[in-house]
Amino acid sequence: MFTIKCPYCGERDQSEFSNGGEAHVARPKDPEQISDREWSEYVFIRANPKGIYYERWVHTHGCKKWFNAVRNTSTDEILKVYKMGETPPPLKEFKDTIKTPSGEPDVGSGNFSVKKP
Amino acid sequence: MSENKIYFKFDGKKYAGNEGDTIAAALLRNNVKLIGRSFKYHRPRGIYTCGIEEPNALVQIINEHNEPNVRATVKKIYEGMVVKSQNRWPSLKTDLGSINNILSPIFSAGFYYKTFMGPKGFWKNVYEPLIRRTAGLGKPPKEFKSKSIHQHHNVDVIIVGGGLSGLLAARKFAGTNYDVLLVEREDTFGGILKNADKIKSINDQPADEWLEKTERLIRNSNNIKILKNTLVTTYNFSDHLIALEDKNVGKPQDNEKPELVLHKIRTKHTILANGHIERFITFRNNDLPGVMLAASFEKYLNRYGVVPDESPVIFTNNSSTFSLLKSLTDLGHKPKAYVDIRDQKNIEKQTLELLEKFNIPFYPKSEIEGCEGKKEVKKVSIRTKKNQITKIKTSMLCVSGGFNPDIHLFTQSKGLLKWDKDYLTFKPDRIFQKTITLGSVSGNFSYEKLLVEVEKKLSEFEGLNELEVKFEINGPEKFQIKELWETKHEKKSLWSKSFIDLQNDVTTKDLRQAVNEGFNRIEHLKRFTTNSMGTDQGKISSINALGIVSKILKKDISEVGTTTYRPPYSPVNFSAIAGRSTYEFYDPERKTPLHSWHVKQNAVFENVGQWKRPWYFKKSEDETMHQAVQREAEQVRKTAGILDGSTLGKIEIKGKDALTFVNLMYTNSFTKMKPKTGRYALMLGEDGMVKDDGIVCKINEQHFIVTTTTGNAASVLAHMEEYSQTEWPNLNVYMNSITEQFATFNLSGPKSRVIMSRVFNDIDFSNDQFPFMSFNNFKYLDTEIRILRASFTGELGYEIYVPPSYALKLWQKFFISSRDFDLVPYGTETMHLLRAEKGYIIVGQDTDGTVTPLDLHLNWMIGKKKKDFIGKRSLTRSDIVRENRKQLVGLVPVDKTLGIEEGQHVIEQKDLSLPIKDPVDMLGHVTSSYFSPNLNHSVAMALIRGGKRKIGSRLFVSTENLNTIAVEVVEPNFIDPKNERMML
Repeated sequence: MFTIKCPYCGERDQSEFSNGGEAHVARPKDPEQISDREWSEYVFIRANPKGIYYERWVHTHGCKKWFNAVRNTSTDEILKVYKMGETPPPLKEFKDTIKTPSGEPDVGSGNFSVKKP
Repeated sequence: MSENKIYFKFDGKKYAGNEGDTIAAALLRNNVKLIGRSFKYHRPRGIYTCGIEEPNALVQIINEHNEPNVRATVKKIYEGMVVKSQNRWPSLKTDLGSINNILSPIFSAGFYYKTFMGPKGFWKNVYEPLIRRTAGLGKPPKEFKSKSIHQHHNVDVIIVGGGLSGLLAARKFAGTNYDVLLVEREDTFGGILKNADKIKSINDQPADEWLEKTERLIRNSNNIKILKNTLVTTYNFSDHLIALEDKNVGKPQDNEKPELVLHKIRTKHTILANGHIERFITFRNNDLPGVMLAASFEKYLNRYGVVPDESPVIFTNNSSTFSLLKSLTDLGHKPKAYVDIRDQKNIEKQTLELLEKFNIPFYPKSEIEGCEGKKEVKKVSIRTKKNQITKIKTSMLCVSGGFNPDIHLFTQSKGLLKWDKDYLTFKPDRIFQKTITLGSVSGNFSYEKLLVEVEKKLSEFEGLNELEVKFEINGPEKFQIKELWETKHEKKSLWSKSFIDLQNDVTTKDLRQAVNEGFNRIEHLKRFTTNSMGTDQGKISSINALGIVSKILKKDISEVGTTTYRPPYSPVNFSAIAGRSTYEFYDPERKTPLHSWHVKQNAVFENVGQWKRPWYFKKSEDETMHQAVQREAEQVRKTAGILDGSTLGKIEIKGKDALTFVNLMYTNSFTKMKPKTGRYALMLGEDGMVKDDGIVCKINEQHFIVTTTTGNAASVLAHMEEYSQTEWPNLNVYMNSITEQFATFNLSGPKSRVIMSRVFNDIDFSNDQFPFMSFNNFKYLDTEIRILRASFTGELGYEIYVPPSYALKLWQKFFISSRDFDLVPYGTETMHLLRAEKGYIIVGQDTDGTVTPLDLHLNWMIGKKKKDFIGKRSLTRSDIVRENRKQLVGLVPVDKTLGIEEGQHVIEQKDLSLPIKDPVDMLGHVTSSYFSPNLNHSVAMALIRGGKRKIGSRLFVSTENLNTIAVEVVEPNFIDPKNERMML
């Protein structure tokens, strides 16, 4: 359970928000002009990284506004929030972010409790 | 100690205890040692510890809703408390389940996985009921209404633990600008100061005086909030902690007040000062009542004034037992023997001096091999340094195997541990959140170093108080320990066991067997043996298990690693988690403005989302649901019926670009639609699947009102909001839910026009003036209503939208105006029947998220000329245009007397020869099925593969008894296919 700083209301408990999946997956401008594959990528395919993730949230039990956030999925740290339509912050802004809590590999569940010698 | 005696019952017998006693302290005071029977072998078990780590002494509190698995070492007694032992039958002293103990060779690790494999059906009918009866802990509580509440905190600093370290930290924060929460799990501060005689004085005063003064100072500061009897159970990501407060400590339950408070704490910094837990040593029969941890024994002496035994044997591998020795001899008691595995030259001189002074039999470089006794310890067997066995009579044995910093919360916070080779324990290493560990939880067992540690670790805070504290210590300053996890067995008998997990009855033999069978990773081993998986989570034993396994695997203990610590630290009652969200507060009930009328008319209600909707109306006491629904459905088509449709979702859409937006949201085209008309419309997901349906009413190009299905009202509005904010923010459009602003009546049936003219005698309802799918607003009394001509039954019908406060009167007026027609109120079941006769779908019943408009033959609803709408592109995807997709058809049984069951399979073959060997090809399933009183036979709808082409053919529907019913596949429209009744 973390808190999210709604760009309209300020910091609130996570339970007030709903997650809307990956951000910046724009709806194709002219759906009729693209192939089945391109369209299905828009409809079905989303990234699911361990680490930095650009995603959408909506303040469901609040102002009901949608906005974007950058979250570290392995630590649940919200690194940045910004309004819909604003330019996303570049990835390099988050390069010093701790990748995983225990320094375990980027892939895998990584339940490490003891520091490796 | 108070002189007032408190009386309580344990297993039917009355006992007296002192105020402040736990159940365990009071029972020890009465010399009761046998408390319960063990989980698997039903062995006698007693009190092993003096706190939250207790694995054995679990009891059931009968007068508190039969609360099970309560730790007798934590729960305080009060007058009239009724306590019962657990997991025994017929009584604690003679437990028939103890036969398992002798059968134990077959109950080894993995027993359940290996044994209960077959025959088929035996698990469900024989094994599971049997195991559930014999294994396990307490019995579930009786139903009760929780009064627990949740409370939220936002603080700068939380201090977990009000022992010496926690108090020193709080002392530094007292009166500063920091907002501090100090949480203590017992009802008094002090921790080790109260439990043991380790500190002689603080600032040249007795420790108790310093404690009292410090508590007063903290209490009087206005920046520290104190929570006692509160256990921090969870340390989540993002500095979020959860703590459970018991409001009823030492008091009977109050039925008016909350018994538990779940505190949800957000903090900027967390100071963990939650101390350490003593661990045991495994030897033969180390589970017998009478075996107790040494520090726990001392805690009973110092905190409760209870002497569990005047002359116990003490067994240790470390320097900490000096303090027990001192406490006992100070009271004038003399231990039977002092057994230390360390060489005499390594034992602290203070201990040696005490042993000599009181002439206590002393066994250096020796160990306890095992103990004997049937219901409790009678004798212990010592393996001396010359490797000889000596037996000593005693009724108690105190054991100390060293200490574990209580790292549970620290690892929950994702901090990393490291192995301390000197103290033989895991201690915190790298923090992950803003965590500070102080005192023994950080692996610091020295009081001198504690002051330095506090100053150093709190130096990041500004403006804290200076500490002026000086300790004078009893006994050895430096903690010293020698590795020992388990002593070697001498005697081999079925009854002799060396336990590694007392609560789950796991022996060290099980650990060895599991490693032999290949479970050499600690997480696998834990699950295979169930080691440390009890309610105590192996608090006194899990590190011992790692020690033993590391020896078997010949690995370093830090290489073996720990299992993952997960919240909660200690069991949390479901009632605390639920808080007030129970019963009527769990999920609000929504009632329509006509609810009271429905109740008076004997409506049976159905839950639709949060709404209570009339399901059907019982005309007489003995009318069945089937009879009621048939009566209602017949009457609607004969004269007229009226339905309360107020729950229908209603959304108002306004704005310059409202038309464009509605065109994008729904499949239909609304551009050429005339104002003041409505249209049945479909909403799709971007994947082309039907999401919702409803009627879109166009007031003008900038103003629409749409209806949604009752259950989807909120999600449809959210869906619209999402697209307007994220994809088309350039469109000028606003949405608002107006569901509750109007009560809605659905009048339906051939006589509905006459009835409408009587109720609203100034409105012209003729076909010319009021054609199908048109609507208008009218003055009614001093308000305005809207009437839409639409139909969900296939009959002539009108929908009336009226402000809620006018609803009941108008509803009654309908009945008064139509006595000669027997206007019938009907419920949702009849509505479903009537629409099924017409082949109208219900989203969510005849569709399931994999159904497109094409599958429903609703191609006419798709605005093909529209450039775009949500889901349009998906309708031309190769999989969507595939011919043999599941498509909606109607089914009519060939034998008209038979009924079809919803959910049954539609198949091609007539005979299901039993037993079924080869898979039967399933074409699809029945989505809706009703007996139609108007056609006098069953009608059904089904989604079947390639359904469109199968119309006209004969198929079969399976039945519950594995028979089949022959059915004709027809168009899904059973009554009035030309829609003449609707257009009447």
